[in-house]
Amino acid sequence: MGTSPATSDDGQELPVIELVNVWKRFGAGSPSEVVAVSGVDLKIRPGEFITLIGPSGCGKSTLFNMIGGLEPCDDDGSILMRGRVQQDGELLGKVAFMPQKDLLFPWRTVVDNAILALEVEGVPVRQARERARAMLPDFGLAGFGDHYPHQLSGGMRQRVALMRTFLFERELILLDEPFGALDALTRAMMQRWLLDVWAEHRRTVLFITHDIDEAIFLGDRVVVMSARPGTIKCSETIDLPRPRDASIVTSPEFMAIKRRLLGAVEEESLKSFEAARADARRVGA
Amino acid sequence: MIRKIPALAPLAGLAVFLLGWEIAVHLFAIPEFVLPAPSAMAATIWTEAGSLSLALAVTLAEALGGFALGIAAGLVIAMILVSAPPLEKAMLPLLVAINSVPVVAYTPLALIWLGIGSASKVTMVTLAVGFVVLLNMLHGLKKPEQGAIDLMRSFGAGRATIMWKLRLPAAMPSLVVALRVGIVRAMIVAIVTEMLGAYMGIGWIIFQATQQIGFREVWAAIAVSSLASMALYGALVWIDRRLVWWK
Repeated sequence: MGTSPATSDDGQELPVIELVNVWKRFGAGSPSEVVAVSGVDLKIRPGEFITLIGPSGCGKSTLFNMIGGLEPCDDDGSILMRGRVQQDGELLGKVAFMPQKDLLFPWRTVVDNAILALEVEGVPVRQARERARAMLPDFGLAGFGDHYPHQLSGGMRQRVALMRTFLFERELILLDEPFGALDALTRAMMQRWLLDVWAEHRRTVLFITHDIDEAIFLGDRVVVMSARPGTIKCSETIDLPRPRDASIVTSPEFMAIKRRLLGAVEEESLKSFEAARADARRVGA
Repeated sequence: MIRKIPALAPLAGLAVFLLGWEIAVHLFAIPEFVLPAPSAMAATIWTEAGSLSLALAVTLAEALGGFALGIAAGLVIAMILVSAPPLEKAMLPLLVAINSVPVVAYTPLALIWLGIGSASKVTMVTLAVGFVVLLNMLHGLKKPEQGAIDLMRSFGAGRATIMWKLRLPAAMPSLVVALRVGIVRAMIVAIVTEMLGAYMGIGWIIFQATQQIGFREVWAAIAVSSLASMALYGALVWIDRRLVWWK
């Protein structure tokens, strides 16, 4: 976006998004209170590609919804965008959000699905369609602009959803396990392709995954979340050179990072597994 | 041949049915007041073509007018109720209560309030069609999953935009169902209301002919309105494909 980058007092560029002590409790005060997210601090700097990894049910999606403005965080914390505190709902329309499901509208063609956000913003449809058509080749959809979603493969549908997200030109892109439902081969292809697109349309990305290879392969920084209540357990900067190609996942550097992270991730997965078993036992009793 | 032209199969069925009817009437010497032969009905339609087509025009105008008003009313009320869930909660039991009585039960009231002219017929049809559209659309407009609504919200869309770009298109299949049920109901309610009090229309002809023991005329009127209903239904199938164009 055309504005000059905002800077903090010490001259550093302000983080695109900053989470300060973010909590989310459901049913607060009642005996069945569930703490989904507890005390999360996270800074995302401009242009960074951050991958967030954690066991299932750790509150990743709740965190995501809060950053997207869909749910407010509890009062004891705050979310800042470029240094400004964001009130309830203020983040809506400021973050390009892509949920797990592609959520393409069956009555819209590929191009018309891609321009959904632009239409909401009030861009004239003809102009929006032109922009979308120009992006089709980048997203591997050349010649498919007038197809309907039910005519596409899973990978293509996901690329349409990504295109819709990229066309909604916001500094921060939130991707919630976008490749989770794809088969391993398609997924690997999509990861490399995403890095290409990211390199071209430089944006800040927060990418949720539960696949550790994916997290390392894509990220500038991998943030590991703990089992519920979700909090940040550790984070690791990935200084593997870019552009990265598929062979990097077998390199010794990659393996070393993976070994370090795997310990943390597995410990949390085990905890969340044990917690689920305990819950099941309590319900069964 | 039959497989190639889809209209041919039902037409062939109809022809066999009419032929069987014709033969049965002659074979068993069925008296005309019980069941006239199709050929006799056709002859009556031919001789009464003027009065029948006038009556049909009146009935169709009432049915289609009420159909259009009912669609509009049902759509608008459904959109309002879906946008305001507390209002829907308050209103739904009342709506279900009104709808649980057959609409024609309100006909005497409509005749008292609005007279025996077209207004009472159009109102009754509007009521009948309006409820079908309303109840189907209440369901259809709520079809989009929360995720899709959240996606729209994340783009900065307000309620009106979500209604227009997500809920309404998602409800089109429900609207199609409502229209198909509604068009049939429109014809039925228009004719029944005419039978209970009118001075023109197909229902009025049926009522008058029954009074005068003119069973051929009764059957002729029934045949004409059946044909009209079939034509309307056919037209609707054509419109439906445009409402749900993506399937």
